Amino acid sequence: MLKVEHLTMVYPDGTIALRDVSFEVRKGEFMGVIGLSGSGKSTLLRCINRLLEPTEGKIIWQGRDITHVEEAELRAVRREIGMVFQQFNLVKRSSVMTNVLSGRLGYTPPSWSLINRFSRKDRERAVTALKRVGIPDKANNRADELSGGQQQRVGIARALMQEPKIILADEPVASLDPVLAHSILGHLEDLNKEDKITVLCSLHFLDLVQRYCTRVIGLREGRLVFEGGKEDIGQLSDKRFKEIYGEEAQRLGAR
Amino acid sequence: MANHLPAAPKGSPLHAILSLIVPGLGQFVARARSRGLTILASVLILGGLSIWTIAQEARFPNYELSFSIYVKLVLETGFLLVFLLSLRYLLTKFVFRDPAAEAFGTYGIAILFFLALILAQEPILSMAGRPEDLAQVYTGTALYSAAALAALWFWQVIDAGRVGALADENKLPSMAGAILIMCLLIFALGYNITDFDLPKAIREYKDISILFPRILWPWKEAFAYDQEVVEEFQLIQAPCPEGESGPPSNEPDPDEPWISATPTCGEIGVRDLSGGFAPGTELTITGGNFTPGMEVHILWKNPIGNPFVPRGVGETDITIDENGEFTTKLSIPSVVIPESTAAGAQIHTLVVREESEEVFSLRLSDEMKLALVGILETIMIGLMATFFGILLAFPLSFLAARNLMAPIVLPLQDLVGSIAGLAIGILLGAFATGQIAPILGGLEQAPIPIFLIALLLVITLGTLGFQWGGRLLGSLLKNLGTNASRIISALILGAMLAVPGYYLGQAFSRGALSIVVGEERAAASEVLLAYAGAVVVALLGISFGLLNRNPRGIPFGSLIYAITRTILNIVRAIEAIVYVVIFVIWVGLGPFAGTIALTLHTIASLAKQYSEAIESIDPGPLEAVNATGATRLQTIVYAVVPQVVPYFISFTIYRWDINVRMSTVLGLVGGGGIGFLLIQWQRLYQWELVGISLWLIAITVATLDYVSSEIRKRYV
Ligand SMILES: Nc1ncnc2c1ncn2[C@@H]1O[C@H](COP(=O)(O)OP(=O)(O)OP(=O)(O)O)[C@@H](O)[C@H]1O
Ligand SMILES: [Mg+2]
Repeated sequence: MLKVEHLTMVYPDGTIALRDVSFEVRKGEFMGVIGLSGSGKSTLLRCINRLLEPTEGKIIWQGRDITHVEEAELRAVRREIGMVFQQFNLVKRSSVMTNVLSGRLGYTPPSWSLINRFSRKDRERAVTALKRVGIPDKANNRADELSGGQQQRVGIARALMQEPKIILADEPVASLDPVLAHSILGHLEDLNKEDKITVLCSLHFLDLVQRYCTRVIGLREGRLVFEGGKEDIGQLSDKRFKEIYGEEAQRLGAR
Repeated sequence: MANHLPAAPKGSPLHAILSLIVPGLGQFVARARSRGLTILASVLILGGLSIWTIAQEARFPNYELSFSIYVKLVLETGFLLVFLLSLRYLLTKFVFRDPAAEAFGTYGIAILFFLALILAQEPILSMAGRPEDLAQVYTGTALYSAAALAALWFWQVIDAGRVGALADENKLPSMAGAILIMCLLIFALGYNITDFDLPKAIREYKDISILFPRILWPWKEAFAYDQEVVEEFQLIQAPCPEGESGPPSNEPDPDEPWISATPTCGEIGVRDLSGGFAPGTELTITGGNFTPGMEVHILWKNPIGNPFVPRGVGETDITIDENGEFTTKLSIPSVVIPESTAAGAQIHTLVVREESEEVFSLRLSDEMKLALVGILETIMIGLMATFFGILLAFPLSFLAARNLMAPIVLPLQDLVGSIAGLAIGILLGAFATGQIAPILGGLEQAPIPIFLIALLLVITLGTLGFQWGGRLLGSLLKNLGTNASRIISALILGAMLAVPGYYLGQAFSRGALSIVVGEERAAASEVLLAYAGAVVVALLGISFGLLNRNPRGIPFGSLIYAITRTILNIVRAIEAIVYVVIFVIWVGLGPFAGTIALTLHTIASLAKQYSEAIESIDPGPLEAVNATGATRLQTIVYAVVPQVVPYFISFTIYRWDINVRMSTVLGLVGGGGIGFLLIQWQRLYQWELVGISLWLIAITVATLDYVSSEIRKRYV
């Protein structure tokens, strides 16, 4: 479904964030991305929907090379790719409803949406999405009145509005406490199992990876250093672990 | 205790001497190049400025004279300084014999120097030039600035010695002393140039002290006063030709006030050139039925009807007796009769006027009403300027926000296609407007609808052209391969740029060239230059297209950003009051000129502030909305606008506040509003009315200040 080939990303200041990364995500997978802070997880996810322009390599989405597609096509691709962020990235001063509806912008004729007009269908869809993540009663609240966990649910609802084929989640639970983390990842798992939405999710904690992911890739200093199935994570030897997380790393959080 | 003389600072005499001859040379030779050059430049500039300044005393400045006086003064004060320093040296060495007793250090020298200058002012100046020469310069300023320059010269000689002896040129001694001296010198000049005169401000306080009460408490003039006025008339003929007896004398009236005079025909008083005055015929004036005890006033109206108080021909303020009657004598005053009206009988009017006491009424005086209208106008100018300012500043601010514009990179062919489309769209819009205009009755008949239609057509067609042009050319060239499409796009760009290039060449020939070589020869080469301009600009465009190596295309957004910012900065640099000076020529005196001027400044200021607010937004939501596949415009509406609204409101209200404040002064140069009244009343010495204007301005601005800060508190 999604193939990344020899991806290299160099920031304008010369930082090499990704070096020759290749892997494939198959349909229906819940794939985890692990790695230390600064290993390039966020950069990788942002290259996939071209929020960042890769320096070299290819992104193949459903058999099509989208590395260089132009704006109009790019928008069409982007609306199939939902994205969930660590900092939620909601428009804080807008209502929850508007935030959720903004996920639909890729489908709306630009001129209509400019004056805040969405079709009735879209509004119904938004209510359904909010129900799905368990906060239908918050539709008219301002986004910044919500707790962190609720805000992330709005983030997921916004991604849902895109009717995505894949959701890219960049450490979706890193700013939440463990209980909330499970509830949010539970929602993603639910989408993955029920709606067959593929998920590519970067995570910090190994136990979360073990609990939710079907496959994992590991990054270290921009290089792909690990790729394996669910079972492989459990049997991750100390040696392999240190390869991913570096010499000093402790197995904190891993059981 | 041992006699510790201060270790003489090690110095290099050679470098010191060099600097004595040419300031900064010693430092320069000692490889402190920039220090040496700085010193030389400072001495030259400050010396030159001083000479120029002191020469301005004369109506026709004599710079040579001023130069010679100044140089002599520098030398004299220099010797004085050296004398003081030697004195210190001798005292320290032979009298005190104790380095700790070096009673006057640098500060001591400075104070002594200053005192010596004050005390010896006369002899020093008289040595510098003859009195009639000295009368042609500002002597005080000359003396002190010359002394400062001498001190600077002296300092840099010492400094050259120190710098020359220095092994390590990195550790240059501080220049604080020199900088202090320069500041003093500049202060001395500034004191002169600004005519700074504190004693004068105190001396002439009494001039303003009379006015202060009238300005500070002007409210008497704010109200109208009721007053009953009774005026009675008697017609008088003057001069009195032979045989005429003049108009009839009034008969006493039994009920109403009346006056009458005899005779009613007489000669006009004559004022001769030497100031002597021969009164005219004496009239006896009687009257009755006035209010007993009141004072009545006699006025004279000349044949044209202008009244005045006759002087030197008799009593004009007369008290009525207990019967309500009076009798008085008055000679016919001197009345200048214009030749144009000199023909025929000259009938004057004698007026007796009784005014009752002024009774305070709650009605506002006419001037107060005018002032209120003025302040309202002022507020409205500020309001309108802010309003129009927002309309234009809002869209501009997005173009001037780096975080929104920098990511816009267009492939060359798209950009070229878009520009072509834009140009075609605008031309089509203009053409269509030209077709529609006659149907609506021409520009004279319906200017506003035509203007709106033009705006609408040009903007819509331009935008459509911009969008479709890019897509069209993009898809046309898509299959040609990168290089071929790049070359073709570059050629098209060149061809398009040739048009403005042509006009640029033409303008150059008409403007710049005709100044240098004269109009005729410039006209001869005009066509040639126009084509040359076209070719040069086209070549520039082509090479711009071909040389751009950015794989993703042209950083169009950054280009627009830079252009917008530059224009905004230039427009903003000029204050509204300066724009008014131009706009009153264009649209005439009055509030409209003020409004346009203020609008212009507001657009630039607001756009700058808005764009800074946009640049400071949280990029997260922007990224998130962008990732959903939204267009750029949608992203702006959903992710940017909600974030910046509070700042925009705050800036806008603050700008309104500033604009009202500004519009109070726009009137001073003809921009309408209260300032316009203020400056007129000031010229008429109507100090109460000036006071009323000032009060109204103060009240309005303070109120607005408070309201705007309260509103802004709510939003940010
Ligand atoms: N805008 C940027 N400009 C320059 N360098 C950047 C930029 N963003 C990230 N980097 C660098 O790229 C590298 C990878 O960063 P990235 O944010 O992808 O890591 P990450 O794995 O997501 O880390 P974290 O777990 O802390 O989010 C880091 O060295 C980082 O410093
Ligand atoms: Mg990250």
